[in-house]
Amino acid sequence: MTPLYQWAASLAERGILPSDFQYPFLIRGFLCVLVLAPILGGLSHLVVTRRMAFFSAALGQAALTGVAIGLLLGEPLNAPYGGMFGFCLLTTLGMVYVKRHATLPPDTLIGVFHALTLGLGLCLLVALTRQFNVHQVESVLFGSLLTVTDADLLLLVAVGVIVAILLVREYNKLLLDSLNPPLATVSGADSAFLEYFFAVILTVSIVVSLKVIGALLVEALVVVPAAAARNVAGSTRSYLAWSILVAFLAGAGGLAVSTKLLVPTGGAVVLAVSGIFFITLAAGVYARRRRAGAYEIKN
Amino acid sequence: MTQPLIEFVDVTIARHREQLLSRVSLSVTERTIHVIVGPNGAGKTTLLTAALGLIAFDGRILAHWRRDGRIGYVPQAFPVDASLPVTVEDFLALTRQRRPVCFGVSASTRSRVSALLSLVGLRNLERRPLSVLSGGELRRVLLANALDPMPELLILDEPASGLDEGGVAQLEDLLRTVRDGGSTVLMVSHDLNQVRRIADRVTVLDRAVVSDGPAIETLALDAVTALLPSGGRR
Repeated sequence: MTPLYQWAASLAERGILPSDFQYPFLIRGFLCVLVLAPILGGLSHLVVTRRMAFFSAALGQAALTGVAIGLLLGEPLNAPYGGMFGFCLLTTLGMVYVKRHATLPPDTLIGVFHALTLGLGLCLLVALTRQFNVHQVESVLFGSLLTVTDADLLLLVAVGVIVAILLVREYNKLLLDSLNPPLATVSGADSAFLEYFFAVILTVSIVVSLKVIGALLVEALVVVPAAAARNVAGSTRSYLAWSILVAFLAGAGGLAVSTKLLVPTGGAVVLAVSGIFFITLAAGVYARRRRAGAYEIKN
Repeated sequence: MTQPLIEFVDVTIARHREQLLSRVSLSVTERTIHVIVGPNGAGKTTLLTAALGLIAFDGRILAHWRRDGRIGYVPQAFPVDASLPVTVEDFLALTRQRRPVCFGVSASTRSRVSALLSLVGLRNLERRPLSVLSGGELRRVLLANALDPMPELLILDEPASGLDEGGVAQLEDLLRTVRDGGSTVLMVSHDLNQVRRIADRVTVLDRAVVSDGPAIETLALDAVTALLPSGGRR
């Protein structure tokens, strides 16, 4: 990656790129945003359509517990992926299994898992403070560009490619299953497979995004881009395009703000994406008002 | 000689210790329009759901497919999120092209969708979001979806609800055309006048089979008129 960083630094010195691009960590951060936007933005429009926003929030909390488990089992502080992947996948499979077999509403069941993983995570974090300074795990909680390594970036790219290929293969079935599961089943889709499949690729995507966005805030990037897109999109195609665009603008904007103001990247990205949501909301309301007819009373 | 396409043998379905269907046995003959009628809570939709393989049941459902065994289905309810930007064209393209619909609809799919919408009397509705369709329009879109490719068994749950008079007449013509083309129709209906017009055979259900036979005779039985107050009238 060094030649790429040197090339970007030379462009920054010549004024072609902003001066901040002379720092490798910032280039890595920007590349992360470039990869994260299509992954999380693309997933987000299915997350919202499949009503999995709360599920994503629970996964973010589970990742926190996964970090604690990984560190307690001796994983390195800057890459506790074994604990995160292992615990998050276990939680995901547990949530989907229970949801499919219990008669309680999904949000109630996810709430149970949410509380369970958070309680376990807090207990483990207290145990963890005997070995580490708790500030050392802050980067996983809130996201930090300083801790993102080349290996993290490559993992993100690899997961992004695999997720994109798998999503393209199953997209139409996933969308039909989101609209009406019986119709999807009758047309040959396996509803159970699709539910597990989407939950697992969402989990993997969230886990690889954590070092940039943070465990507590990652759900914002898998929910808000699609919510913002719905305010302005008029078709499935523009829904996807807007979701990705919003995720990219929030990522790039948050990155710039966090660099200038020295605030956590995750927080800055979430503020940016929330700001974009309200702008699109206002734009959607304005467009609808312009189209609406006027009600007139003549005496 | 016509043969049964689907046979229900002693089908029993219970949920939360409540029996929804009790030892239902009936036979749906191929190339017929078979209508299930009954009061609310009689288990009509549950029986269709079992036929689709979407619900666990005791007993047996035997399918004697002569062709590809394809089933077309028009559900009773199709709730659409008001802010969902999925258009009619997107929806109909989902099962008609391999390319993800979020990457656009191909030209060949577009013309196929257009022909399908014409078939159910909905022209120039391709770009309209599903969420703004009226109940009748949505029902026609679902019917268009179920008719392509032509299924061996077409299952419809209250297909006429929300349709205007012209829509009902068009639906009935379509169902006759489907039957005459070699497919079998199994449907639930509350409109007994419509049942008299189009049904080849009627099953009256009230958690168990009350009566089963040709439409006019079955609907005129005393037990049926007691169960369905308008059943005996013409």
